Amino acid sequence: MDDYQTCPKCKTTKYRNPAMVLMVNACGHALCESCVELLFAKGSGACPECKCPLRRNNFRVQLFEDPAVDKEVDIRKRILKEFNKRQEDFPTLREYNDYLEEVETIIFNLVFDIDPAGTNKMIDNYKKENKDITQKNRNRQSQEEMELEELLEAEKAQQSEKANLYVNAELEEKKQKHKAREKLIDELMFSDADAKSIVASHVQATAALAKEQPKAAAQPSSGVVKSSKFSSGVQIGLRGQHTNSFLPIPKQEDLPLHRYTAPVFDYDGPPPPAIEKLGKLNYFANIRAANITERAGGYTEAMSCCRALQEALGGLFYSPQLTHKTAVLATNSSTQDTDDMETT
Amino acid sequence: MLELKRALDAKGHCLLEMPSGTGKTTTLLSLIVAYMKAHPLDLTKLVYCSRTVPEIEKVMEELRKLMNYYEKEMGMEQNILGLALSSRKNLCIHPSVSKEREGKVVDGRCYSLTASFVRARHAADDAVPICEFYEGFDAHGKEFPLPPGVYNLDDLKEYGQTKRWCPYFLARHTITHANIVVYSYHYLLDPKIAEVVSKEISKSSVVVFDEAHNIDNVCIDSMSVKITKRLLDKCSNSITILETTISNMKENDSKRLEKEYKRLVEGLRDATIARETDMALVNPVLPSEILEEAVPGTIRTAEHFVAFLKRVVEYIKTRLRVQHVVQESPAGFLRDIHTKVCIDRKPLRFTAERLASLIRTLEISDLTDFSPLVTVSHFATLVSTYTKGFTIIIEPFEDRAPTVSNPILYFSCLDSSIAIKPVFNRFQTVVITSGTLSPLDMYPKILDFHPVIMTSFTMTLARPCILPMIVSKGNDQVAMSSRYETREDTAVIRNYGNLLVEVAAAVPDGIVCFFTSYLYLETIVSSWYDQGIIDQLQRHKLLFIETQDAAETSLALINYIKACDNGRGAVLLSVARGKVSEGIDFDHHLGRAVLMFGIPYVYTQSRILRARLEYLRDQFQIRENDFLTFDAMRHAAQCLGRCMRGKTDYGIMVLADKRFSRADKRSKLPKWIQEHLKDTNCNLSTEECVQICKRWLRQMAQPFSREDQLGISLLTLEQLQSEEMQKKIQQRAQGV
Repeated sequence: MDDYQTCPKCKTTKYRNPAMVLMVNACGHALCESCVELLFAKGSGACPECKCPLRRNNFRVQLFEDPAVDKEVDIRKRILKEFNKRQEDFPTLREYNDYLEEVETIIFNLVFDIDPAGTNKMIDNYKKENKDITQKNRNRQSQEEMELEELLEAEKAQQSEKANLYVNAELEEKKQKHKAREKLIDELMFSDADAKSIVASHVQATAALAKEQPKAAAQPSSGVVKSSKFSSGVQIGLRGQHTNSFLPIPKQEDLPLHRYTAPVFDYDGPPPPAIEKLGKLNYFANIRAANITERAGGYTEAMSCCRALQEALGGLFYSPQLTHKTAVLATNSSTQDTDDMETT
Repeated sequence: MLELKRALDAKGHCLLEMPSGTGKTTTLLSLIVAYMKAHPLDLTKLVYCSRTVPEIEKVMEELRKLMNYYEKEMGMEQNILGLALSSRKNLCIHPSVSKEREGKVVDGRCYSLTASFVRARHAADDAVPICEFYEGFDAHGKEFPLPPGVYNLDDLKEYGQTKRWCPYFLARHTITHANIVVYSYHYLLDPKIAEVVSKEISKSSVVVFDEAHNIDNVCIDSMSVKITKRLLDKCSNSITILETTISNMKENDSKRLEKEYKRLVEGLRDATIARETDMALVNPVLPSEILEEAVPGTIRTAEHFVAFLKRVVEYIKTRLRVQHVVQESPAGFLRDIHTKVCIDRKPLRFTAERLASLIRTLEISDLTDFSPLVTVSHFATLVSTYTKGFTIIIEPFEDRAPTVSNPILYFSCLDSSIAIKPVFNRFQTVVITSGTLSPLDMYPKILDFHPVIMTSFTMTLARPCILPMIVSKGNDQVAMSSRYETREDTAVIRNYGNLLVEVAAAVPDGIVCFFTSYLYLETIVSSWYDQGIIDQLQRHKLLFIETQDAAETSLALINYIKACDNGRGAVLLSVARGKVSEGIDFDHHLGRAVLMFGIPYVYTQSRILRARLEYLRDQFQIRENDFLTFDAMRHAAQCLGRCMRGKTDYGIMVLADKRFSRADKRSKLPKWIQEHLKDTNCNLSTEECVQICKRWLRQMAQPFSREDQLGISLLTLEQLQSEEMQKKIQQRAQGV
């Protein structure tokens, strides 16, 4: 902070006491920390400049050089919590701009204490009218903020990737150069070939390497750009779901509508009499009638009677030869399979 | 010419390296003028951009010669209008305003005399001063176009004096229908100025950037903003001025504010912006779709906007209160400003435009006070518009003085292609040319464009008039190098000194030496004093030293020229990248030898440079070392080129560093120097170097007449038309 900052109460300057910290409260007048301790020992009191009642808890460190700006930002933050409509909430840009100006006027009025009663009334009215929208908007970020976030994230990802890549590439290159040089010296020392031809071949080799390298360096950088969103603009990953708070209903396939068909039972025997006719055919004579408690649960004697008849008649036409044949066939084929397996 | 013609035919951009002093300007002018005459529909205008005022004057001289020649040969008046444009400072003829020294003050005073509201006030009240020259121009000048001819700055002033018209606005007005316009880079590259001055130049124009080896730095500078603590304090002051003016106006003349407000509500663009005198404030590049949108409601009324500005300034102040270096991207900055002071991106984007509108409404005539605030508003607009290619660096102190708190916020452009892109897109042919553009392939990469032609030309010379040599060791066989590890070594410094002394003894007239930095220059000179080298040197020649102070340097230069002219001989010690290395020619006896002590690498610890290198690496796949070497070599070549300004000139070029002989450095020198750099001259010691110099100077000292050049580097018309020569030219054309 600057040296010429002065506490209005005790006249201490930043120059004389570098540890001095100025604090501001809701009224926008500054006080140094020790004055705050002294004056507001009880927890509350009046501002020495404007006599407006203040609480000690509300004192904060002054951020800006001009305490009025601190106050304004404070008020602004409070107001913008309520007045948080977005451009999407308005049919035209013009209306949105009008709304913005209205908000600005309210803040301006609050900061300079112009018509406090009217302004507070306006705020209350607004609060009542727009409760839903305010609530809703609190939970979602505006388009712009999201854009910014995305940009930041992309930058971060890019940075970390690229930094590693290039450092490694450079190291690798240095190593190779070193190696090539050592190889050349070794060759010159131990080989019997003409020194000129060795040097020439070395120059050729390094030139070829140099040609290759830029390509290699260019390749990964073009490939690594990972996009954090789909082409439609929806985020990949958790964040996208979080901000949209909207789960799509699973889409139904366009199949033909289900149509009920009565099931056909294959009794493999003579058809049993229908359940409604059992009473007429006098089948109940031989079984116990259902008592009151059983009827209450929906049970009738017809049910058990029908079941017994179905069981008695089902499968009467069954002929064992046919099924036996198929069974034999099946075992044959399986043995063949195993044979095949062994031969292969 | 062939290559240039091809580029013009193809309507594409080209990149030409032509050695200095071989008639680069004449070639460009004569071909393009001829092309304009032959295809008046395809090519309507030539925009010739140069760097400094003397260079602009030189171009105008060449153009005048060409026009005189046309007249003599064709025997009639040519219907071509060429003119030079410079700032008000160079063109003003108002008796008191033109006395001001500083360009900004002249602009401000001019504005206070010619702004539309001042003139309106004058109409109501005669006591309000206005500029009679502008009034004259406004009343009569617009109907009568300038008669065809070539006008340099002085001609314009004279013409203005006789007619009583303002030459500056006359020139600005004439740009639209002139055939040839010569002005500085900034009128085209700086988006803030280009918007106003060069807006109406048609697409079918040729744009030539001369001396364009530093074009990428110009582009970057035009988009970068530097904010210091003092600037912010000034901003706070101007905000208070704004506040009081607004409250005054509210009491006296609230209608005007209401009118402005209504206009902003309607989302109409300012109609008055077209008025030429109100141009002092202009917004930096904004995509046009944003410009068509209405100003957001948060900053629509004047008071709200001032409060908004106050918050922005206070916020930046808090950011400057850092203890360590901070580097962040524009996106990070936007998020932080949103959380700290609740400022959204959109109103930020409109800051510059809104401020301009407010100042116009308030009728503030003295603009010089508001330039800090304008800078901040540009910063706000740029930071919210571009999220890529820029970085924000906040340094709490300078690297050299870490105890003195001097916080600076750099908003630095990393991508030189952003500023120049509109130029490439708008004009059909852009020619980038210089004496030293090697290595050519770097420029398309960093400027992000696709040239149709990219060539480096050499000189045809009757005698070997340049002698490049690489001196790598002293007589004691100690390697000479300005490498960081060895630069303080006394042996290296002594060897450099001996080299200079021996060369000074052998070479007549002027010698220019270039060091890598002011710091290095000073340390070397101080140890030369101790070693007695300075005394030895002064036995042969006088010694002059370039300093960071411009006035001192120009005084040294004047005396250097005097010492060379009267035969005493002089040595000038200067710095690569300094003033001397960029704009001043040492032709003939002023520079018989150039010595380059060390490789002029940039200060690599600078954070801005590092950020830029990183960006180049990530975006364009240019490796850090490649770019650094490229940058160092182009500056070295630029220094060496200082001594060669024509075919009759001759000069020695000594590269005194061991590292120059490496292939990666040597191959980056311009072709016309490389051609003369023999393998045998690549690893010399001081003694060998001096021997070669002596032999070569003896050869050069032979009388050299025009006849010697004929047939080789100078052709008569018959020779040019001879079959043999035609064949040769054909061959060359196919070869390149």
